Amino acid sequence: MADDLNTPATAAGPGVAPEADARLEDLVAFGDGADPARPAGVPGSYARGDSPRWSPEAIADIQAKAQMGRYQLRGFSTFNKHLPSFDELVFQPATMTRLPLEGYREKCDTQTVLGDGLGKVEEPIVLDMPIYIAAMSFGALSANAKAALGRGARKAGTMTCTGEGGMLEEEREENRTLVYQLSPARYMIDLDHIRKADAVELVVGQGAKPGTGGLLLGMKISERVARMRSLPEGVDQRSTSRHPDFLGADDMTIKIEELREATDHRVPVFVKMGATRPYYDTAVAAKTGADVIVLDGMEGGTGASPELLLDNTGVPTMAAIPAARRALDDTGMTGKVKLVAAGGIRSGADVAKALALGADCVMIGSAAMIALGCNSPRYVEDYQKLGTEPGACHHCHTGLCPVGVTTQDPLLSERVDVEAASERVHRFLTALTMEASLLAKACGKSSVHNLEPEDLRALTLEASAFTGVPLIGADRPFSW
Amino acid sequence: MSALLQGSSAEAQVVTVEAADRPLREVNREIREAVAAGHRVEVVEPLSRHNLAVGLTGEGHVTFRGSVGYYCGGLSAGGAIEVDGNSGWGTGEGLSAGHITVNGNAGMSVGAAMRGGTIHVRGNAGPRCGVAQKAGDIVVEGDIGYSTGFMSHGGRIVCLGNSRGSVGDSLWEGVVWVGGEIERLGIDAVVVTPEAEEVAEVDELLASVGVDGSGLDWKKVVAGQKLWYFEARDAKQWLMI
Ligand SMILES: Cc1cc2nc3c(=O)[nH]c(=O)nc-3n(C[C@H](O)[C@H](O)[C@H](O)COP(=O)(O)O)c2cc1C
Ligand code: SF4
Repeated sequence: MADDLNTPATAAGPGVAPEADARLEDLVAFGDGADPARPAGVPGSYARGDSPRWSPEAIADIQAKAQMGRYQLRGFSTFNKHLPSFDELVFQPATMTRLPLEGYREKCDTQTVLGDGLGKVEEPIVLDMPIYIAAMSFGALSANAKAALGRGARKAGTMTCTGEGGMLEEEREENRTLVYQLSPARYMIDLDHIRKADAVELVVGQGAKPGTGGLLLGMKISERVARMRSLPEGVDQRSTSRHPDFLGADDMTIKIEELREATDHRVPVFVKMGATRPYYDTAVAAKTGADVIVLDGMEGGTGASPELLLDNTGVPTMAAIPAARRALDDTGMTGKVKLVAAGGIRSGADVAKALALGADCVMIGSAAMIALGCNSPRYVEDYQKLGTEPGACHHCHTGLCPVGVTTQDPLLSERVDVEAASERVHRFLTALTMEASLLAKACGKSSVHNLEPEDLRALTLEASAFTGVPLIGADRPFSW
Repeated sequence: MSALLQGSSAEAQVVTVEAADRPLREVNREIREAVAAGHRVEVVEPLSRHNLAVGLTGEGHVTFRGSVGYYCGGLSAGGAIEVDGNSGWGTGEGLSAGHITVNGNAGMSVGAAMRGGTIHVRGNAGPRCGVAQKAGDIVVEGDIGYSTGFMSHGGRIVCLGNSRGSVGDSLWEGVVWVGGEIERLGIDAVVVTPEAEEVAEVDELLASVGVDGSGLDWKKVVAGQKLWYFEARDAKQWLMI
């Protein structure tokens, strides 16, 4: 047996006194202060692990699957560590070659119009800022959270989207402008609600789980959610990924015409998709006749997704936007079809970078949830019950949201104070807009929509290669 | 002149609308206004055009003298539509109230995601009939295509003829009734013996559209509920192994 366990030396070699042998062995083994818990002859990783492949997470993941016999689900967004970040891009404000605008005195236009480009729509959407709140369904979110988002968006002069769970009375009431989403599952879709909408959105996919349908676990299928979705209470809803009444893009063109007829050509039609082949998907989506394309990168948030899809599918937002913009340029659709980008937008700097890369508008999901109260350090014992803590929570799928944002439990839901939460959402949206326009003005732009890739430089080779933005220093895009 | 008014009584006029190559928006507006006002509309030369009679309300009646394309009567919340011919994909999709009769065959996804009302197909219906249906009734006198009732949440699909494969796949609380032969059941679909009063309710539905279903050997297809919960014990169902 190999002697790499620190058992006291007992066996003596021939002709050596046993006590002397043990003393020598002890000296050799521990005379230099070695740790008795660490066997000799093995590297320092013995206790620590340190395998980059069999990390503690990988081991725990296998143990969990071996217990459950199925893949794992969770909320929030990807934990993949290898995604590029907007932090790898920086603005290059005006200096000698350009003039900046006065940050605190001169105006920078932030108004954003969606649905005007094709001239097919009587009432395009006009927002006071290039930001709106992403589709997050009633079901994923509590009714109070939906109401607070709607009220906050209205105060800030922007809009929200119903998400796939149908139109909630509270949200129609609170929102000034509301996008009504038709997902493949078509929960509670009818003429009455379509005619109450300010835009209609066909969702083909989302960044967190492209190629699959919505997911809502039984803990959140309350009586009201069940009624709105025509589901038995308490089932685990796994929605379809394909629409029930069209397949390819040519059929979708006809579907979009149907929606225009149903709304009497009054409101814009949006198509939302997860970023997977953004260049080609955007070109095809633009050809369907939609007014607005919403592109959700792989950082996009979710109420519940298979974890493996979060971490192993899609294109990061930063790389998806320039590809989509190129597609619109190449097909002559820039200006006609508007591009909304989403997925991992945290700050006004991220907003400005998304606009500079080619988005006409951005959409925020997770950030809006956090403004509502997600991950706030209250009800700490309830985070602990979920095995997490404020700042690290990603447990939206459990329906036990400690702050009442992503739950259907009536008591937990009450933890969202609609007025206070809406005010936080309002202030956050205002702050984002202020940040984005501060950067735009420093770059000499009188409108946030004039931000352009030239205003950016990439700090890393990857960011430059992904976006085509010049590498800082080299001043040209990294390319092969 | 495209919308031709006949008769003098304000309540029940007969309006003739020509579809042909006129702008769809105009054609639909004429149909919509007449049906909302409770009139009878005759649409001539529908030429299998898509999106005819989308978004109807009211108590009027419209007859298409010929075949129609995709989404005829789609997203309607009223009106009675009769298609004197065949209909394309998504006939009556998203219907919430009203009545649609197709005298010929209907294409794929008739009654998709409908929330109420009745759709009656005298011929055969294509695949995915009643897909994602939420409520209401679909009656098909002929055969139904594959994946009929796929993920249907509620309501009834009643087929007097035979069913192709995968009938009742992944059902929630929707029910598919088949009077003829079933080629193959869908994932998690099971055939149960109906109660006498359920059969009486189906007979009542059929009688309401003037169809006699007596003497048929009804197979009632419902969910086996093995796809309702995301639990490993049911993994074989969703892996289809
Ligand atoms: C709780 C929650 C629920 C969501 N529900 C929907 C939905 O019903 N339909 C949809 O298209 N996207 C849904 N999304 C995705 C968002 O619309 C959006 O694409 C995403 O949140 C953007 O990424 P971000 O969270 O990083 O801002 C949801 C996201 C969250 C966080
Ligand atoms: S605090 Fe609530 S909304 Fe935020 S991650 Fe946790 S469960 Fe989700």
